[in-house]
Amino acid sequence: MYFPLPGDLEFDAQGAADALEEWQTGYQRLFKGVKAVLESYDVPVGLTPKETVWTLNKAKLYRYLPVKPPEERYPVPLLLVYALINRPFIFDLGPGRSFIEYMVAQGFDVYLLDWGAPGPEDQHIRFDDYVTDYLFRAVRKLVRVSGAREISMLGYCIGATLTTIYAALYPEAPLRNIVLLTAPLDFSRQLRGSMAMWLKEGRFDVDKAVESLGNIPGELIEFWAKMLKPMENFVGVYVNLWKQLEDETAVRGWQAINRWVEDVIPFAGEAFRQFIKDYLRGNKLVSGQHVIQGRPVDLANIRASLLNVFAQYDHLVALSQAEGIMDLVSSQDKALRVIPSSHVGIMASRRAKYKLWPEVAAWLSERST
Amino acid sequence: MSAKTERPEADPFAPWVQFMDNWVKSWSGVVSETVTSERFADSMGEQLEGWLEATRLVRQQMKVSMEQYLQQMSLPTRSQVVSLAQRLTQIEMRLDDLEAKVDEGLDRLKAIQQALAADE
Repeated sequence: MYFPLPGDLEFDAQGAADALEEWQTGYQRLFKGVKAVLESYDVPVGLTPKETVWTLNKAKLYRYLPVKPPEERYPVPLLLVYALINRPFIFDLGPGRSFIEYMVAQGFDVYLLDWGAPGPEDQHIRFDDYVTDYLFRAVRKLVRVSGAREISMLGYCIGATLTTIYAALYPEAPLRNIVLLTAPLDFSRQLRGSMAMWLKEGRFDVDKAVESLGNIPGELIEFWAKMLKPMENFVGVYVNLWKQLEDETAVRGWQAINRWVEDVIPFAGEAFRQFIKDYLRGNKLVSGQHVIQGRPVDLANIRASLLNVFAQYDHLVALSQAEGIMDLVSSQDKALRVIPSSHVGIMASRRAKYKLWPEVAAWLSERST
Repeated sequence: MSAKTERPEADPFAPWVQFMDNWVKSWSGVVSETVTSERFADSMGEQLEGWLEATRLVRQQMKVSMEQYLQQMSLPTRSQVVSLAQRLTQIEMRLDDLEAKVDEGLDRLKAIQQALAADE
């Protein structure tokens, strides 16, 4: 048997050095990736300068400081209403990635209603209460603070549902324009592949969930949302991060979105029960059976100009859920737009600033003079 | 040296990432199809049901024993604190309405003052 001795082998010193360097580069990259993920939980977001003009319980109404002089601003302020899941900083992910920063720069007087995270004492809050106790008062304060006679409202996801209920419940509201983004409103068609199939009657006991958990943990809702596209959400996001690790701007953007995705808040128990029973299963909002404090939530009461925007690749809200109200509202000036994007990407992707943001700004600017 | 800089930067994890990327792309449709199937939905529903039932029992038991313990220690219970927080919110709402009425009254007063000043 022949055993090679060190002197017999041809040692490629340069090759070994290259291989070592490759591994070093690889591990540095791996370290960079792990660091990017860990740092994402503290990445600064919501940096556009603002002041708090109203609070109630955990809810806050922010006014973003204008950057244009009063004569160059639109006289109709814009109120942003986000969903009850996750935090509203999806509107303000950081400099250059912020819808709010963009709209302020366009000359809009922007307000944001932050619902806050419900505690055990808020378990009884229903959609009705969010609209009558919170949204109603926030709009009243906004009108007072801004001195405007009319306002525009932009609702995103369940924020769009709340905006629609508000507009339908208060025909006398000072509403000039409504923008709905990925609005879950019409559940007459229960589509396969949607979250609704996991939550349908007989398969999910919503009463037991509220009784057992009180408020529904954000982690559970996040899990359901991620499970609709498990490969993309549990693996794909990290592969995407790896691919763009050398692009610092892209990493910053990834971190901001990751922080938003992971920063979940509970869903008030009764609001969740109402959403499942009255809207998802009962479709009361569109069928005209929804009554709040004796007043009907009649979609025909909506007369403001309406822009209903739907994301083509949205796996959470189907087109049928958003477009169903177009024939039910009384608005003469109404439009449905489909943007080739996802539920989150429509607002927070790199392309959002070239697609959704200018489209919303242009539509509102024509109607905010 | 120059040859070294011309050589593209090698990444020993690249094949693995490429594999993961292809794996995500090729399995995405199948996995999504599976998790949204009736069978999977039934199974997930059953598991969730079991977890909720267990959580309910544990919480109920904890609630009863904690409330008893806190009462014996002369400390406020969770339900008392919750009730207090709810009352505070009710007070906040009343204050908010009161403030709105005061604002409205001040506006009217201002309008009257302006009208009187115009008459003079």
